[in-house]
Amino acid sequence: MSTRSSPCGKCWRLLIFILITTLPLLSGCAPVGSSSVPPKAVNQPSLGGGKLIYGLTLSPSGIDPHVNASAELGIPLTSVYDTLVYRKLDTTESFDDQFVPGLAESWEVSDDELTYTFQLRRDVTFHDGTPFDAEAVRANIERIVHPDTQSQKAIFLLGPFQSVEVIDEDTVAIHLSAPYAPLLDGLAQVYLGMASPTALAEWGPDYQFHQVGSGPFKFVTYVPNDHLTLVRNNDYNWGPAIYDHPGPAYLDEVEFRFFTDPAGRALALEAGDADVMGELPPFDATHLRQDDRFRVIPIAIPGQPLGLMLNTQRSPLDEVRVRQALLFATDRAAIAQTVFGGESPVAAGPLTAATFGFAPSLTGRYPYNPDEAMALLEEAGWTDSDGDGTRDKGAQLLALDAVLMTWGSVPEMAQLVQSQWAKVGITLNAETLTYPAALQAAREGNYHLIPQNFSGSDPDLLWAYYHSGEPFNWSKLSDAALDDLLEKARSTSDPARRAELYTQAQLHIMELALLIPIRDPVNLNAANVRVQNLSFDAHGWFPLLHDVYLSDQ
Amino acid sequence: MFAYVIRRIGAALAVLWGAATAVFALLRGLPGDPAETVLAGSGASQAQIEQMRQQLGLDDSLLVQYGRYLLNTLQGDLGRSLFSGRPVGLTITEQLPATMQLAAAALVVAIVLGLSLGILAALRAGTWIDRVAMGVAVLGVSVPVFWSGLLLIWVFSVGLNWLPATGGGSWRHLVMPATVLGLVGAGPIARLMRASLLDVLRADYITMARGKGLPGTAVIGRHALRNAMIPTITLVGLQAGFLLGGTVITEAVFARPGLGRLVVEAILSKDLPVVQGIVLLTATTYVVINLLVDLTTLALDPRQRQ
Repeated sequence: MSTRSSPCGKCWRLLIFILITTLPLLSGCAPVGSSSVPPKAVNQPSLGGGKLIYGLTLSPSGIDPHVNASAELGIPLTSVYDTLVYRKLDTTESFDDQFVPGLAESWEVSDDELTYTFQLRRDVTFHDGTPFDAEAVRANIERIVHPDTQSQKAIFLLGPFQSVEVIDEDTVAIHLSAPYAPLLDGLAQVYLGMASPTALAEWGPDYQFHQVGSGPFKFVTYVPNDHLTLVRNNDYNWGPAIYDHPGPAYLDEVEFRFFTDPAGRALALEAGDADVMGELPPFDATHLRQDDRFRVIPIAIPGQPLGLMLNTQRSPLDEVRVRQALLFATDRAAIAQTVFGGESPVAAGPLTAATFGFAPSLTGRYPYNPDEAMALLEEAGWTDSDGDGTRDKGAQLLALDAVLMTWGSVPEMAQLVQSQWAKVGITLNAETLTYPAALQAAREGNYHLIPQNFSGSDPDLLWAYYHSGEPFNWSKLSDAALDDLLEKARSTSDPARRAELYTQAQLHIMELALLIPIRDPVNLNAANVRVQNLSFDAHGWFPLLHDVYLSDQ
Repeated sequence: MFAYVIRRIGAALAVLWGAATAVFALLRGLPGDPAETVLAGSGASQAQIEQMRQQLGLDDSLLVQYGRYLLNTLQGDLGRSLFSGRPVGLTITEQLPATMQLAAAALVVAIVLGLSLGILAALRAGTWIDRVAMGVAVLGVSVPVFWSGLLLIWVFSVGLNWLPATGGGSWRHLVMPATVLGLVGAGPIARLMRASLLDVLRADYITMARGKGLPGTAVIGRHALRNAMIPTITLVGLQAGFLLGGTVITEAVFARPGLGRLVVEAILSKDLPVVQGIVLLTATTYVVINLLVDLTTLALDPRQRQ
């Protein structure tokens, strides 16, 4: 035994001391922190000034709009960049003048629809003082299409891009190799926002941390996973007509923070950690509606509804009657109510009701009708011959495999589908996979059903999911008539004609029953009531912060 | 003793190589193509996906990829994120301080609370104090962070407005996350401390010490605790690694920056270089902590020095 004097006797006393002093802290009995918390700043009135804290819901892995694809990056950066054109806020009803001038004062499309010529504004400067001109447009577009940029989204918005040509200082032309009607829609998105060529050249691959646009707010700092800060651009005087006032923005500063845990979003709003919060879970939105300190702002998202795509190459879904039976057997209204808290409309077809070209005639095409479902299944030869509850045909059981993903309440949705289908004698086996694994299963066709939901403001997004041979055509169908409709619609610039073609395409898709549309996504935003005039652009995700101000309280 | 230390360091390096290889193999074994994931939803064609695969170096043979990965790792180059294009080393080091801060604070809570509860329970074994202390320990392990975290936010931020609910930066942001995570770590420490202290208190040399007329505090402090600490220190070392992993959920609940969210997103999207980098970092941390634990035990326990 060591005879050295040990310090542990003191340790022991110290331990007791620490225990005594920390236990009350942990149980919350001591007034710890109560005196040191400064009172929340009282927000000053006026249309000018103030700082807004905006809650984002996921932390994008990269935020260079020319490179990365996340919708989340567009929420802050839509206020940093101007685009050549802007999509009007509601273009689902009117087909004329879908776009308004932005950095381009006017534009012309050549008769062969292969050349778009833009007349640019002359009074625009980037936040770093670089003047905006045709050379700047060329530098931006050439950066996007350069292979080293590895663009994940912007490059695809340019469609069959061929070249960009500087005609004079204020005139620039984009040449295509084939007519591509969605081009203006792409040019209206933040992914094709115009960045300062000086900053692009200076920062190269690090540009995402040093972004310079010409928009109403300047990019200040971005600390991944922590915050992104913008400050007002006092020189801003070239806003598009979709903004409700000319001149600079009202707010001094906007700080974006990341709230990745859906369960904590409403709490963070209530605790005052954020003034605006996006993508609230539906039941939290319902709860906040009853609290007069907050305002819930639901925004319908254009694009595809959340739905289940049906693999037409795998028996028994190779038969259209079986696929139609699945549609009749699904009580979509019950799912929208139970899983999405009644905050989302029931989806009708492959496009949401908020999308340009949506076909309203699809509403009610497949009402919940188990009798009709059973009749169709009987017709197709599926009966429950052994009385085990699952229909069969010869040796085959009517058992379907669904590959699920974790997002969008898909697993909860599938549970309801499972119980609804059991009533008509269909067994659904569901497996939840990570996103990459689900994409692989989709590629290999190892499923009967797979969820799908991509947003986008142009109906041409149907191309990637329904045109034959496309990698994300998960119905695996090659249908010449559908291909023809999608090709014509892509190469027709007349909006009325396009809408007509897309209506036909949607009706065709639903007659073939390639998809079980469930709900039209709605972004449930909530804001502190002092946040005034918060509206969103035509894509539904991106706030028009230029017009937002804070009221007195 | 020198040879022992060298042997331990050699073993540590072998473990690191094993971890590097295992994570490489596991990630390649998982289904999914990163290039496809990067471009899903963009409307890319098959040819464009192939081009992305090529640019990301994913079309090389596994052996070539493995060789390149080991060689680069040895040179300190962990590669670039497939999604953000940023260097993995930088991506990790900018998130590391927040996570280390949380893990360290949680470890302090775990040690202080765990040792206190364990010692208290052992010294008052069989009484209501023992039962309450052990009850708290079990509760700490069983209550999930995503629940206790939200509860704390609800009480202390929304209700009482004492502490900020979310974010990082100051010590006040750290109190709740460190407490919920520390509670989880405190449980096992308390239970082991109680058991080993009870064991030691029954040993002959303690009876001997008491028999010699040493005061109670000296018996406990100088003789019993010192010996009872040895297994506990090993456990504390393991808990340190565990708490580093436990930051994942805690960071999400409290919307804190840190490695946790980075790794979850990287795994879910199969961002190979980022996952590899973080696993290597975690493995290194584990190995270093365990090495330190072994050396500490060596210092505390004379028998092991021979």
